[in-house]
Amino acid sequence: MPERASPSLETAEQRWLQHEWRVIGPEPRAPNMNMALDEVLTERVGRGERPPTLWVWGWSAPCIVLGRFQSVRNEVNETNAVANGVEIVRRISGGGAMFIQPEGAITYSILAPDSLVAGLTFPESYAFLDSWVVRALHGLGVEARYEPLNDITSAGGKIGGAAQARRNGAVLHHTTMAYQMDIPLMLQVLRIGQEKLSDKGTRSADKRVGPLRQQTELPRDEIISHLLDEFRRSYPSREDALTAEEIEAAEQRVRERFATRAWTHILP
Amino acid sequence: MQHGEYKTPGGKLIAVDFVVVDAKLTDVRVTGDFFLYPDEALDDITGSLEGVSVEATESELAERVRIAMRRGAELVGSSPEAIGTAVRRALKAEEIDRA
Repeated sequence: MPERASPSLETAEQRWLQHEWRVIGPEPRAPNMNMALDEVLTERVGRGERPPTLWVWGWSAPCIVLGRFQSVRNEVNETNAVANGVEIVRRISGGGAMFIQPEGAITYSILAPDSLVAGLTFPESYAFLDSWVVRALHGLGVEARYEPLNDITSAGGKIGGAAQARRNGAVLHHTTMAYQMDIPLMLQVLRIGQEKLSDKGTRSADKRVGPLRQQTELPRDEIISHLLDEFRRSYPSREDALTAEEIEAAEQRVRERFATRAWTHILP
Repeated sequence: MQHGEYKTPGGKLIAVDFVVVDAKLTDVRVTGDFFLYPDEALDDITGSLEGVSVEATESELAERVRIAMRRGAELVGSSPEAIGTAVRRALKAEEIDRA
C-alpha cells in the first residue's frame, strides 16, 4: 500500500483527545480588544504558556471586521459606517469583511498548537476544526455542512465563515456565525461588488445568508450553550477565564497597534 | 488609478490597484479576502509587479508573482494566475478609459 503522508481525518480526530481544553465563555468586549486578545492568546498557546483553548467572544459595540489583506476603500462605506456608529477594526487573519452587531453574531476562537492540524491541507484543517460545530448544529436540527474553503452553510443559507492565522507554532482558527442580521444596515456600511458574487449564482447578498435565529428559532444564548455542551461532550475540557496578565497584554496591544489607523488602514 | 478584480471560482477575490507611469505599473496594491502565509509575502507579491510593463501577459505576470513569493509562502483560495488576470482586467479598463 502506498504511504500516505497526511493523516486520515479519523486519525486527526484523535488529536483533540490528547489535550485538556480550556473553555472560556463570552463576555462583552470592545471590538479592538477581541482582535488583540486573539493575537495575544495565540502567541501564548504557541509558547506553551496557555493550554489549547476554546474562547467564545462577546461584542460590546457594532463593528466591521476586515480581513488582514482587505482594502478599507473596497470593502467599507466609511461615511455610512461613521454615521451609524460602526467601528472599523482589522483582524490578524485573512478572509472577508464581516458586519457585526453585538447580539447578531456568535464568534469563537480555537487556539491550539499547530500539531493539531499537522499534515492536513488548509481546506481539511478548516473543516476539521469546525467539525464539532457542524455536529452541534445537527443537534439543533440544522442540516449544516462545511463548504470549502471556509464556510458553514445549510439549505437555509450561509451560516458563517472561518479564518485562520498561524503564529510561532500555534494555529488560530476563528469562526463567526450570523445569529440575526440587519441586512439594510449591512448593505449601507459594506460594499459588496459584483465580482465577489460572480460565482454565487445570485446577485443579492441577502439571499445568501441564513442566520441561525431564522433556522432554529432559539435564543442566541441557548445556541451558544448548546455549542459549548457539544464541545465538552466531545473533548476533554475544563472551564477557564482570561487571566489579568492576558487582558493587560491585550490592552497594551490595542493601544500600540489594533486601535491605530496604521493598522486598521494598513491597506487603505 | 487602475483597478481590476478577479474571483477564483469557489475561492477568493483578488483586487489590484496601480497607476501607469511610462507604460509601467507603479504603486501596485494587491488586496482581497484571500489567505496568505506569512503576512509579509504580500510585499513579495506587490514588489514583483512594481515597474512591470503594461505589455506583460497574464502568464508572465503570474510567473513573476510565483518566483517572488518567499520560500514556504502559501496563497490560499487564490493563485498567481488570478493576480495576473486581475492586472490584465485593470489594464483593459484603462484602454477603455483612453478610447
